[in-house]
Amino acid sequence: MAPPVRCCVPGERLCSLEEGAAGSGTYTRHGYVCASLAGCLLKTSEDGALPVVSVVRDAESQLLPDVGAVVTCKVCSINSRFAKVHILYIGSTPLKSTFRGTIRREDIRATEKDKVEVYKSFRPGDIVLAKVISLGDMQSNYLLSTAENELGVVVAHSEAGAQMVPISWCEMQCPRTHSKELRKVARVQPEFLQT
Amino acid sequence: MAGLELLSDEGYRVDGRRAGELRKVRARMGVFAQADGSAYIEQGNTKVLAVVYGPHEMRGSRSKALHDRALVNCQYSMATFSTGERKRRPHGDRKSSEMTLHLKQTFEAAILTQLYPRSQIDIYVQVLQADGGNYCASVNAATLATIDAGIPMRDYVCASSAGFIEDTPLADLNYVEEAAGGPQVALALLPKSDQIALLEMNSRLHEDHLDQVIEAAIKACKDIYTVLDQVVREHVHEVTTLLGE
Amino acid sequence: MASVVLSEAEKVYIVHGIQEDLRVDGRGCEDYRCTEVETDVVSNTSGSARVKLGHTDILVGVKAEMGTPKLEKPDEGYLEFFVDCSANATPEFEGRGGEELGTEIVNTLYRIFSNGSSIDLKSLCINPREHCWVLYVDVLLLECGGNLFDAISIAVKAALFNTRIPKVRVLEDDEGSKEIELSDDPYDCIRLNVDNVPCIITLSKIGCRHVVDATLQEEACSLASLLLSVTNRGTLTCMKKLGKGSLDPESIFEMMETGKKVGKTLHIALQKTLEKEESLGTTRQKVGFLG
Repeated sequence: MAPPVRCCVPGERLCSLEEGAAGSGTYTRHGYVCASLAGCLLKTSEDGALPVVSVVRDAESQLLPDVGAVVTCKVCSINSRFAKVHILYIGSTPLKSTFRGTIRREDIRATEKDKVEVYKSFRPGDIVLAKVISLGDMQSNYLLSTAENELGVVVAHSEAGAQMVPISWCEMQCPRTHSKELRKVARVQPEFLQT
Repeated sequence: MAGLELLSDEGYRVDGRRAGELRKVRARMGVFAQADGSAYIEQGNTKVLAVVYGPHEMRGSRSKALHDRALVNCQYSMATFSTGERKRRPHGDRKSSEMTLHLKQTFEAAILTQLYPRSQIDIYVQVLQADGGNYCASVNAATLATIDAGIPMRDYVCASSAGFIEDTPLADLNYVEEAAGGPQVALALLPKSDQIALLEMNSRLHEDHLDQVIEAAIKACKDIYTVLDQVVREHVHEVTTLLGE
Repeated sequence: MASVVLSEAEKVYIVHGIQEDLRVDGRGCEDYRCTEVETDVVSNTSGSARVKLGHTDILVGVKAEMGTPKLEKPDEGYLEFFVDCSANATPEFEGRGGEELGTEIVNTLYRIFSNGSSIDLKSLCINPREHCWVLYVDVLLLECGGNLFDAISIAVKAALFNTRIPKVRVLEDDEGSKEIELSDDPYDCIRLNVDNVPCIITLSKIGCRHVVDATLQEEACSLASLLLSVTNRGTLTCMKKLGKGSLDPESIFEMMETGKKVGKTLHIALQKTLEKEESLGTTRQKVGFLG
């Protein structure tokens, strides 16, 4: 039988710092771990280390992109120096309101950075997998990078309007007109491919 | 003073309450499905709706973003039919701007903003019916809405007003008592840690009486905390049983 | 208007479903969502109503105040509308963001009530040329879930039905100056006759069919909508086309026929609900936002 669920509310003292470490949904004050969300208490015990005390909610609250997170975004405009994107998903969680991001020209590829042309890597409307490298400062949005093999364009539509098939790391082909277009293509992991 | 007696000889107020008694509080969380968090509270005849959106990207000018914290953005608005005399503008006048700033100050003290750098949390409060204690009911409703949205908070924020008539401190003033012009104190408290987030006093009060009035306000806040706590626990319990965890 | 982000595939799905008379939530093309109407929600007003149509939430308060009649209509009272798109609905309405939508709704409401037959304005007159009742109808938009105009018109009709205007007596002094005396009894009041108040029916054209009561997602797929104001007898009093697409004349006539049919059923259902609420009188349990 499942153990009884313990509900907690913000400000409630859960345990002292000797008994457990603060996890998500909690904060520490005066040597005690206190809850900061209203939800269920979850204690995960790891071997050796202190059990981690965290509070989980039924619905996921809005996530923010963090440095190093892989995000799915849609390109909205390009120019010779960078591409502006809307961040739609963080990992596999969809966002209720989109965030704005920028992929600079030198962050598109890992090799031969000076020979990159943005027009030959992305086009407006493409769905791109990218990684967050900086939260940005006063003037800029989130900075993203596709300088890895697994990052880049995942879904793109050709000028004829059909969804294109990737043929190499830098080209995609339209199935209707058989014309090839240049993109920085992501190498999809084998387990995600449907055969 | 001719006319209405705010405190009768037997110790009863205009609406039949005792000096330290609160008005009837009824609250509900999760009123609107489209917002991140929402709540509705009724304190006597004062009815307030609060809605929370966030944390999301900064709207408007990005230069206002704080590099290490989230920005708390509030708006306090009163419906035009909420007061006895019809109000012309729901928000944008001096009183609403002042209340907006107070709400912002209160919630910046309670929300753990360091967890969401460069983002914005919106708190919108709408007063549907105003019968005294508008600011306090707004704070209570906004607390419930923030908890409903899943934004981490240090503690609840409970607010209450208090006055002083004929050597007796009164808790939770209604409109008639506020309009009488005596001294009033509005207090917002984090109950578990006994920290005061906002303290505001109007009119003249002798400093010997200040302690009593603040004590009465703190006690009223703790009473409101018990009511709000029960509402939150019921809501969490209902949601977890529905999910079958 | 609050916008929703839809992908191309979702739009295609919605359009194809509607061709088969099957909408995303299972309704037919002429069905309304589940509507909740409650009157007398706010006690500071002369009349109030709250309407919850799916995810759209509207609160209307009516305040009756004394004023001077307009110069061109000296023996009639008048209505003043005000729409507040509150930031609760969407953060874009913060500050002055909701004013554009608010003005559009106010102008539509004025057009509907401008013809003399909707409401008997002569009953609002106290003293010709000197005193009359002015009804300030304030609409508060709390949540935006598609089909705003319909919900607002239902709420305005319910609030006007619920309005209680105190009875006044005009006393003439010896010098000829008139004094107005309000009756002391709070239950002694005049009620308005809302039988002829029209309701707005918005028909959105999606693909080659038209739907009644579109949700936000369906509004994003529709190119053009027709706004009809229908009385309980099926008479059309006002018509307006919205949206950036264009409509051909046959569709407009088809939509008018559907609008009249749907409008009559809507009025009958609304009248029944209001009368049932009224018959419960003081024993009715007021739910408001707590239920």
